[in-house]
Amino acid sequence: MANELLKVKNLKTYFKTEAGIAKAVDGVDFDILPGEVLGIVGESGSGKSVTSLSIMQLIPNPPGEIVEGNIIFEGTDLLEAYRRKDYDVIRKIRGNKISMIFQEPMTSLNPVFTIGDQVAESLVHHKGMTPKEARDYAVKMLELVGIPSARERIDEYPHQFSGGMRQRVMIAMALSCDPSLLIADEPTTALDVTIQAQILELMLEVKAKTSNAAILLITHDMAVIAETCHRVVVMYCGRIQEIADVKTIFHSPQHPYTQGLLASLPKPGQKVRRLSTIEGMVPSLFNLPKGCSFCTRCSKKHEPCENVPPEMVETAPGHFVRCHLAKPMQSV
Amino acid sequence: MYSYFIRRFLLMIPTFIGITFLCFTVTRFVPGGPVEQAVLRYQQAMANTSEGGGGTSDSAMEQGQISEEMMQQLKAIYGFDKPFYIAYLHWLWRVLHFDLGTSDTYSRPVWDLIKEKFPISIIFGLTGFTLSYLICIPLGVWKAVKHGSAFDTGSSVMVFIAYSIPGWTAGVLLLMLLGGNAFLDIVPSGGKESGYITEKSKLSMFLQQGALAVDLPAEIRSQYPKLRDNQQISANHPAFAHVPSEKRFQLKTGGHADLNFVGRLLDSMWHMILPVFCYVLGMFASKTVLMKNSLMENLGQDYVRTAFAKGLSERTVIFKHALRNSLIPIATGLGHMLSIILAGSYLIEKVFNINGFGLLGYESLIARDYPVTLGILVIGSMLKLFGNIMSDVLYCIIDPRIRFS
Ligand SMILES: Nc1ncnc2c1ncn2[C@@H]1O[C@H](COP(=O)(O)OP(=O)(O)OP(=O)(O)O)[C@@H](O)[C@H]1O
Ligand code: SF4
Ligand SMILES: [Mg+2]
Repeated sequence: MANELLKVKNLKTYFKTEAGIAKAVDGVDFDILPGEVLGIVGESGSGKSVTSLSIMQLIPNPPGEIVEGNIIFEGTDLLEAYRRKDYDVIRKIRGNKISMIFQEPMTSLNPVFTIGDQVAESLVHHKGMTPKEARDYAVKMLELVGIPSARERIDEYPHQFSGGMRQRVMIAMALSCDPSLLIADEPTTALDVTIQAQILELMLEVKAKTSNAAILLITHDMAVIAETCHRVVVMYCGRIQEIADVKTIFHSPQHPYTQGLLASLPKPGQKVRRLSTIEGMVPSLFNLPKGCSFCTRCSKKHEPCENVPPEMVETAPGHFVRCHLAKPMQSV
Repeated sequence: MYSYFIRRFLLMIPTFIGITFLCFTVTRFVPGGPVEQAVLRYQQAMANTSEGGGGTSDSAMEQGQISEEMMQQLKAIYGFDKPFYIAYLHWLWRVLHFDLGTSDTYSRPVWDLIKEKFPISIIFGLTGFTLSYLICIPLGVWKAVKHGSAFDTGSSVMVFIAYSIPGWTAGVLLLMLLGGNAFLDIVPSGGKESGYITEKSKLSMFLQQGALAVDLPAEIRSQYPKLRDNQQISANHPAFAHVPSEKRFQLKTGGHADLNFVGRLLDSMWHMILPVFCYVLGMFASKTVLMKNSLMENLGQDYVRTAFAKGLSERTVIFKHALRNSLIPIATGLGHMLSIILAGSYLIEKVFNINGFGLLGYESLIARDYPVTLGILVIGSMLKLFGNIMSDVLYCIIDPRIRFS
């Protein structure tokens, strides 16, 4: 497909720590279509945040560094510019074409500036609005994300807002410049369960009302994926294990890890006392198995798994699996 | 919030009473208290006069002993004839009327002494304080931005050295190295202005025109009876205008007051260099490190990442978003400015022989001049208590999160 919005190719982001090099993201390939909602799911530490921060080039350096790969956004290779040290390229895109919502709404806003100032800032910066215009527009955006009496509350400070309200502000801020891609890194994890659903719904609603931005939604919650995403990327230990559209993932998952994640979901109508979780621990990034990184926990482990790393294979059109059990689709 | 500050002001009253009551009580019960001091001074004075008088008094009793009546009078002066809490109430009542008693060593009202010395300390201290902010804030910011660079490491060595040398110790060393008549003789050895400027001094070129007192017209002269005939007066003297122009001449020698404005300014600055340097040195390390750490901490915060994610430049992120937050702990320190200055002034003024509040306090302690010591305690604790409130006010102004209730 030639018309993808963002194409990530062989992305590798490593962290140099005292214990050695942590390959947090080690060869990740995927793409996002315009207007699509793509989910990335995986357990804690699988490299979801690092992948999204790499797209924004917000990896703390040191200790982290993007060591290899290409990220092509609307035809521009962002990482090629990064390697040329041409940071203006990403700066013009950040907050403008690609914006991001973070996991921690409580700390992601600057405590000493008003909500209005912070929403208006990127409008002035990217859209060249006057402070007055930007302020009016900020009020409009805050109304759009459902902040009651936005015109009065715009002069309040973040500490006067609840967590859910702050996340709404973050969404307003992120969508204010009409981005074509919105990255949401676990936008609801830190919030109350009742508010989580509201925020997700709001994101999709506002997306539809504005420029229909594509969304890269990061979560470790399969239920969230089921409700919001078109396609899903399953990550484990810095690598993609399976990519497919959401129906395929839920109805015919191929990878044992995906199957494990799904088995941990409570099914409606089914009375289970204990949720089945995947046995064992995520291996340390410094001590990954030689072969398949999931082999320490896989119930279907067989002869080559421990020594030969499996390759990504396409089992059906658009369905990719990294497992020795996966059968490549019959080329016709 | 206003009620909070009103409450804070009201709370100052019991705190102030607590501090002063404690110190007042201690002076009552320590050996060598005010009455004993007075007796001692009296005995020394008696011994001197009797020696001077050629030993007319032959009885040892008369020399050393103080009559019971005098003892009672002394006790009455210092309030020792009453129980200490009554005496404290009397003392407090007088303090409320700005009567801090009379200094034993200077024989002048303590309040006058303090009023006279206070501005001197403030000029030195404030200059040092301001300068330290002007140096430490940019330095700390730069160290944080360039964290881990050669500049950061190099300046950390400086900070470390400054941290390990107290300001007044550096003052002693520098005076030995650079002070007047010492090794290099670049700066004066102390004081706040030159007493006598010789022809060799570079300052002599700033001397003004002058005249001799004898040349004043008689009727003007009589208004200034203290002037001796051969005494020089300079153009700054109010009587100078009356000297006939042919009697005026260019001064070759003189004092600080005989310099023109530029000369006086330079002379004062010349005297201020080392003491102010010592003030700055005393505050340098902690303030620089505080600034650096504060900014470093804020640069690691999530909101900084948000600011970067908006596409703002590194400059905007650091200087608009992070710096504003990191200045909060630095700025609230301003509330304690006066207390910090006065606390620093004790040893520095002693080393440089600056006749200010600190030296007054130091000497009153050494001489056990209780009225002055207590007076300085009163002023010091008032400033400290006000400083606390000022810090809170500043906090409220800068940090929107702080709302006292
Ligand atoms: N600042 C850092 N310094 C060192 N290592 C890091 C840093 N950030 C991430 N890593 C490494 O990258 C790995 C992946 O981290 P990442 O934050 O991407 O996980 P995640 O999938 O987002 O997990 P979570 O669900 O907990 O957010 C971590 O296990 C860690 O070893
Ligand atoms: S490759 Fe082997 S160990 Fe890895 S997931 Fe497939 S079956 Fe399990
Ligand atoms: Mg994460």
